[in-house]
Amino acid sequence: MHNGHIHLATSVKLVHLTNTTLFEDNVLDESKLEQVDSLYKEFETPEKANKILKLKHFEKFQDTTEALAAATALTEGKIGKSLKKVLKKFVATEAHEQLAISDAKLGGVIKEKMELSCVHNSAVAELMRCIRGQMESLITGLPAKELSAMSLGLAHSLSRYKLKFSPDKVDTMIVQAICLLDDLDKELNNYVMRCREWYGWHFPELGKVVTDNMAYCKSVRKIGDRTNVAGSDLSDILPEEVEAEVKLAAEISMGTEVSEQDIGNIRHLCDQVIDITEYRTQLYDYLKNRMMAIAPNLTVMVGELVGARLISHAGSLLNLAKHPASTVQILGAEKALFRALKTRKDTPKYGLIYHASLVGQTSAKNKGKISRMLAAKAALAIRYDALGEDTNAEMGVENRAKLEVRLRHLEEKGIRRISGTGKAMAMADKYQHKSEVRVYDPSGDSTIPSTSKKRKFEEVEQAEEPVTPKVKSKKAKKQPVKEEEEEEAAAPEEMPKKKKKKRKVEEEPEEAKTEEEEVAVTESTKKKKKKKKTKDEEDE
Amino acid sequence: MRPGFSPRGGRGGFGDRGGRGGFGDRGRGGRGGFGDRGRGGFRGRGGGSFRSPDGGGFRGRGGGRGGPRGRGGARGGFGAGRKVVVEPHRHEGVFICRGKEDALVTKNMVVGDSVYGEKRISVEEADVKTEYRAWNPFRSKLAAAILGGVDQIHIKPGSKVMYLGAASGTTVSHVSDIVGPEGLVYAVEFSHRSGRDLLNVAKKRTNIIPIIEDARHPHKYRMLVGMVDVIFADVAQPDQTRIVALNAHNFLKNGGHFVISIKANCIDSTAAPEAVFASEVKKMSSENMKPQEQLTLEPYERDHAVVVGIYRPPPKLKK
Repeated sequence: MHNGHIHLATSVKLVHLTNTTLFEDNVLDESKLEQVDSLYKEFETPEKANKILKLKHFEKFQDTTEALAAATALTEGKIGKSLKKVLKKFVATEAHEQLAISDAKLGGVIKEKMELSCVHNSAVAELMRCIRGQMESLITGLPAKELSAMSLGLAHSLSRYKLKFSPDKVDTMIVQAICLLDDLDKELNNYVMRCREWYGWHFPELGKVVTDNMAYCKSVRKIGDRTNVAGSDLSDILPEEVEAEVKLAAEISMGTEVSEQDIGNIRHLCDQVIDITEYRTQLYDYLKNRMMAIAPNLTVMVGELVGARLISHAGSLLNLAKHPASTVQILGAEKALFRALKTRKDTPKYGLIYHASLVGQTSAKNKGKISRMLAAKAALAIRYDALGEDTNAEMGVENRAKLEVRLRHLEEKGIRRISGTGKAMAMADKYQHKSEVRVYDPSGDSTIPSTSKKRKFEEVEQAEEPVTPKVKSKKAKKQPVKEEEEEEAAAPEEMPKKKKKKRKVEEEPEEAKTEEEEVAVTESTKKKKKKKKTKDEEDE
Repeated sequence: MRPGFSPRGGRGGFGDRGGRGGFGDRGRGGRGGFGDRGRGGFRGRGGGSFRSPDGGGFRGRGGGRGGPRGRGGARGGFGAGRKVVVEPHRHEGVFICRGKEDALVTKNMVVGDSVYGEKRISVEEADVKTEYRAWNPFRSKLAAAILGGVDQIHIKPGSKVMYLGAASGTTVSHVSDIVGPEGLVYAVEFSHRSGRDLLNVAKKRTNIIPIIEDARHPHKYRMLVGMVDVIFADVAQPDQTRIVALNAHNFLKNGGHFVISIKANCIDSTAAPEAVFASEVKKMSSENMKPQEQLTLEPYERDHAVVVGIYRPPPKLKK
């Protein structure tokens, strides 16, 4: 590609920065320049143009990368390396000569750095137009086709540079990595189960003693045949007491004998398991790095694993950004959601977001609230990551801090008033010790009449007794019966009879008591609460 | 006659299907139990007495409705295999496709490729197969202007066009078709998202030069652009006249033309559209841009207008 410098020798030098070509004007009538409007007439034909301007220097770029670098420097208003070279070499720094330039900002920079005085005004602009119009003829050896082809190439590379096709912003890596992680886990589990079962034929006790999968595989690999246990040192794989147990179990093991080949195969399997486990940890690190590069805000808010699962569930980061916060909250619980919607029950409160650390550390009651709050802020973070221009995690960190403050407030909810002005502390009533000492009323104990009422009954009894011993008032009858009962408390034969009577008897004092109580209540002040009354009645 | 029902043609007994046109079709749709919809299953249709002796009269009416539906939704003008005629439009490089319905089309520079899912029409004449792409006036302001009857668009084969506000490249692709391989289209678009789509379009068409820059600063892409013949502007910005003027001062040749699409809402949403258009025209005149014609884009767009003019007209020779 080409940049063009045009400079007029007499008093004005023109730098036409579209192509690196340097023109020199030998004969210029200054008056012509002043008549800006009619300048174009001078450039109407190639011959006329050539009379006024002469090509001084044409600097070609070596390849598109150089051209791209120069072009980007120009767009930003800086002096590229090649431009600097050309200017130094070919533009003589004479005091009265000026460089005509079409970008005023660039002119200022050139003046600073290279001490060349630059000029930019409407006359210059007009001149540039004319030159641009006659580009082909003024620059010899450059056909139009080549010109347009070069422009096309430069335009494409410039645009691509502008759009910043950077490979680490691709979120397909995340989706694939998380799927692979899940696959690895499943496979690992299968292999370990198989290993345990297989080796269990030979040495079943090892499986029961060593619970950790990695340790089991490592020890199997080291031991091989169980006869080697005594001689082998498992201290770097297992803790001491477990090792001792293993050695003990090896003596009294009830497993079968196996051949060398079988042990060899089992060993291979164990190797595989160990390799896959190591790879899994590597993959997890890779995933964490990628997540931090692609979606830093989301990572800060919910963690790498949950963030990656969310992205993979939605398909891509952009897709995830399109979901509203309520969807982000229940992503992953679709089965429960639609089941609840169909049967008109309560919808689930959390989906994949349940495994975020913020939700995990709250009490069960507040998990729903935190999940909603977290989903709201996470949705903002996702959109910022997917559609924002710069990639830093400030926003995520801020939001997380806010959430943690709110979480703390939720946990200590009881101290703060919920409604009204949230800032006011709830007024606690002054504690007054209302001691309820309920004194036992001994009047029900003895049958000896002590109250007026009972005396009344007895008077009635006494009155009635001499008249008709048979016609006794219920109560009179009962009382001597009661006495008898009390004396013969444990007589079994009279049990059913007594029971009946007892019941009646028991009812009696209750009735009497309640009558008393009622009287007492009515007599007492009205301040007695219903509760107390019912309580007393219940007690009775 | 009714291509979908040719076996029926001879049998008068099925004319009643046309007669009970509306009901019949609904019935056919509603009761799915007709195995052989195209032809005969109407015997089984309940309700008996549909025997209409006047089959012929009804046939015509029913046929129109039954025909296309029987084919399973053949689109209006250009179903597969329909015969159409393509004739050139008054504007050079633009064509009209005449079939059941007329459409504005341009000759596809990249045969077999559809840029935004538009319909393609292949026509063979004298052993030469040419493909045309349908131009949607609802999506493209230029197509709406052409269909509205603008006098001159100034974009012709071989011309150099500067397109400000290229967006995803849908109209740009049609302009590229018009100017052909000899011409050039400088497509300027600032948005990165649309820019990506524009780049993809430009990859296939070598006469489009994509520029991902703000059109307000033409000096930032001065190294990529030569002098152009026409500026087409569809930027939808309140200062769009100034933007076009800046670009014209830098890149538009003397006597070159400009085509500007004005959205009244965008300039001033409170003023009446006519007032907005008038004020824009006045602004243009002060920048040495002489407007020559103006037309609204009804019925394709609301409160939109297109202004065509000339920049730095050559002075009239006084005799």
